[in-house]
Amino acid sequence: MTREEEFLERLRATFRVEAGEILSSISAGLIELEKRPSPARQAELLEVVYRSAHSLKGAARAVSLNAIEALCQAMENIFSALKRGEAQASPAVFDSLHAAADLIRPLALAPAGALQPEEQTKIQAMENRLADAVSGKPQREPPPPAAAPDVPPEVPFPVPRETAAASAGSGGIHAETVRIPMSKLDALVLKAEELISAKLSARLRAAEMRKLKAIFGAWAAQWDKAAPALRKAARGIEAGGRTASGEGAGAAPGRPGDFFEWNSRFAKSLEERLDAMKRAAEEDSRSTGGMVDDLLGDIKEVMMLPFSSALETFPRLVRDIAREQGKLADLTIEGGEIEIDKRVLQLIKDPLSHLVRNCIDHGLETPESRRGKGKPEKGSLKIAVSQIDSGRVEVLVSDDGKGIDAGQVKASAVKYGILSGEEAGALSDRDAIDLIFKSGVSTSPLITELSGRGLGLAIVRENAEKLGGTAAVETSAGGTLFRLVLPLSIATFRGITLEAGGRAFIVPTKNVAKIISVSKDAIKSVENRETILFNSRAVSLARLADVLELPAAAGAGEGGSLSVMLLGADGGYMAFVIDRVLAEDEVLFKNLGRQFARVRNIAGATVVGSGLVVPILNVADLMKSARKYSVAAAARPAAEAGRPELQKQSVLVVEDSITARTLMVNILESAGYGVVSAVDGVDGLVKFGGGDFDIIVTDIAMPNMNGFDLTAKIREGKKRPDIPIVIVTGLESPEDKRRGIEAGASAYIVKSSFDQSNLLEVIKRLI
Amino acid sequence: MPEHFEAGPTPEDKKRILKERAAKLARAPEKEGAAGSLEILEITLAGERYGLESLYVREVYPLKSFTPVPCTPAFVLGVVNIRGQILPVIDIGKFFDLPHRELTELSRVVVLRSGAAEFGLLADEVTGVRLVAPGEIQASLHAVTGIRAEYLKGVTGDSLAVLDAVRILADKALVIDEEVAG
Repeated sequence: MTREEEFLERLRATFRVEAGEILSSISAGLIELEKRPSPARQAELLEVVYRSAHSLKGAARAVSLNAIEALCQAMENIFSALKRGEAQASPAVFDSLHAAADLIRPLALAPAGALQPEEQTKIQAMENRLADAVSGKPQREPPPPAAAPDVPPEVPFPVPRETAAASAGSGGIHAETVRIPMSKLDALVLKAEELISAKLSARLRAAEMRKLKAIFGAWAAQWDKAAPALRKAARGIEAGGRTASGEGAGAAPGRPGDFFEWNSRFAKSLEERLDAMKRAAEEDSRSTGGMVDDLLGDIKEVMMLPFSSALETFPRLVRDIAREQGKLADLTIEGGEIEIDKRVLQLIKDPLSHLVRNCIDHGLETPESRRGKGKPEKGSLKIAVSQIDSGRVEVLVSDDGKGIDAGQVKASAVKYGILSGEEAGALSDRDAIDLIFKSGVSTSPLITELSGRGLGLAIVRENAEKLGGTAAVETSAGGTLFRLVLPLSIATFRGITLEAGGRAFIVPTKNVAKIISVSKDAIKSVENRETILFNSRAVSLARLADVLELPAAAGAGEGGSLSVMLLGADGGYMAFVIDRVLAEDEVLFKNLGRQFARVRNIAGATVVGSGLVVPILNVADLMKSARKYSVAAAARPAAEAGRPELQKQSVLVVEDSITARTLMVNILESAGYGVVSAVDGVDGLVKFGGGDFDIIVTDIAMPNMNGFDLTAKIREGKKRPDIPIVIVTGLESPEDKRRGIEAGASAYIVKSSFDQSNLLEVIKRLI
Repeated sequence: MPEHFEAGPTPEDKKRILKERAAKLARAPEKEGAAGSLEILEITLAGERYGLESLYVREVYPLKSFTPVPCTPAFVLGVVNIRGQILPVIDIGKFFDLPHRELTELSRVVVLRSGAAEFGLLADEVTGVRLVAPGEIQASLHAVTGIRAEYLKGVTGDSLAVLDAVRILADKALVIDEEVAG
């Protein structure tokens, strides 16, 4: 790399950061503009977005990103036409502007390199679209004067606005700040956290010193008791054997009596030194602990970000989802200025966006239906953050929609085998509503790519609990309220280290109800499941090593009794046989990294005093696995304790594009499915007739017979009219989705969001 | 013709020749360390040499200890602690079905990174770093190794198979995302 290239690369890195900020500011500005605030505020906002587009154009030119420059120019033209009142700010214009910002973002973030031809076409098309957006609509209508005068000119999202104002140079007080890349801070945090192990080992040393001192003390007590007699005996030997001695070893005590005295003095001084060392070790442990805690406290401070920094994209998200669904929604955010640990934000951002999606998707009604109920057409969504004590915040996500129907939740839970009919009948509405946090339950009759896959809310609760928080829901006919309680920062928790299958694991102490020793005779077998009695109730018992799919450790299960740990989660209890308990300590939760997005039965890991990594167990998972295992164990020979093989299920893929077809076949085959493909609806119908399939995945737009017709034909036919059918499509409109439902599709996935996990997840859910 | 010899090149000629020489000398190193030449980290997997573009190698770390993670596929060696960060280590040899090698003192974790994706690859040994001109890496017509062509960036003149780090980092098959089926 030449020096110029290196420089350009550095410049581009800077540009990427800048472009990201400017684009966020443009997005926020557009969202607010579209809400039609007062004319004065509109003018102000237009000025900000206009200047932002202009600065980005200049910056893009500096790093010779001509495509971005051209797009910014086109955006700038629109803004300037709006400013002059020569164009009307219609939703279409906003759509084009948002789309342009979306197009610029990846271009700005991409590493330097020539544009792909398709990218160039897209950019050209966008330039034309932007040009048409103003010139194509020559109505010289000025921006409507205060269409909604009751809307306060307040900014609902203070933070993006503040940064926008600052970068636009509109003045404001600048505190003395430095800009540091997050990656550097992250490294610093990791190093500081590692000091926890130094603190723990200092504590261990101090404890060892105390033990040593105690051992010495026990010896000294014995010695003191025996000393008078021994002294006497020594003197006696001395008196009797005086002739034998004489030329001793100089300074060393040659005579037994002298040796005895020397020995006493030596032991005394050893004890004193031991005591001094013990005290020093304790002092070290205390001061190291204090310093580490102090440092971690400060580091946590540094990691605090305003909550709104995670919510910047939400207004846009709400707008897009609502538009896509033909609904109207307004989002207000309260308490965005409250500061919270960046890592908590990171973990909670996706769950929050899922909650918001869920509110629009399932909660809010269509404008017509709302009008019918006498509600305002525009639904209102609210995210309110407030601090409930020094360490916790409460996040309320609410909508004024139709609420959640407990009956529907029960029906869904029964359908997916989470509850039996009787169990569902006995359940209170409140408990039934809580089921939406269980994976597999969804009230949406059709699986869409938005939500309703019945996994999202489970992840919301899981992530909240992983952080040591809670997630709950309240609902009524007037709307739904999700309540998350989160810690302000990532804190350590108490964990019990245990050994199973010869390896160390940690369980959070809060999940451990009891650790007991159980005689082998006390284990009863009920319907192929082993149980023990606990508090006079039968609790199922599983071997932790088996559940974790570990090979049985040598010598395990010998002796007459077993160490059993009673673990609880989600209100249930289960007993696990472990090798032994090692210790209880402070534990800092760490993720296993992106590559291990989710590992069965393992929640994360921590680094212990010795620097070793110890996995932290996911107790809810363990209980689920154990239920499965105890049934499976009875059915299969003990020798093959590997992972349960995926049954080869068969998928029919109907798709006319060879690329899309090849991709899908590949994805499905590598996920272990048997796949047959068809090139259009007719071919699909023929192959469906001639084969035995578990599920059909079909495209919509195809020659001869499209996906809707194929779905309808199968539903009307005699052969397996109930087979799950997933429609995968490039079309994304509420009408199409409705047609999909009418034709009888079981799920509808839009190709733009088509990645393999999505498809596989949906298929897994349906068969 | 002694005059001729004495005359030799004219001062102008001398200048010109020296200039030419200087230009030649000046250009030479530029050609070598040249723009675009790739730095390749050489590793050993199952007794064979492979290359990885060092652009995507964050660091190389001796495998001192690691923690196996239960309920993960066989190609997952486990996790290691690198300065407080917990990093997954993939046994890429096992992933490619190469013959199994025992862990030794020479075993290394090669930490790959591209964008947000980051993990360690287990290498039997790291033998060194070398520069390769970009034109020297050719797409191989037939598989020279046991590794499927899609994971290879190409093969150098002396048949060193260069792994496609970006492809490996982006491979969904190497991401563990499994839920306990309810």
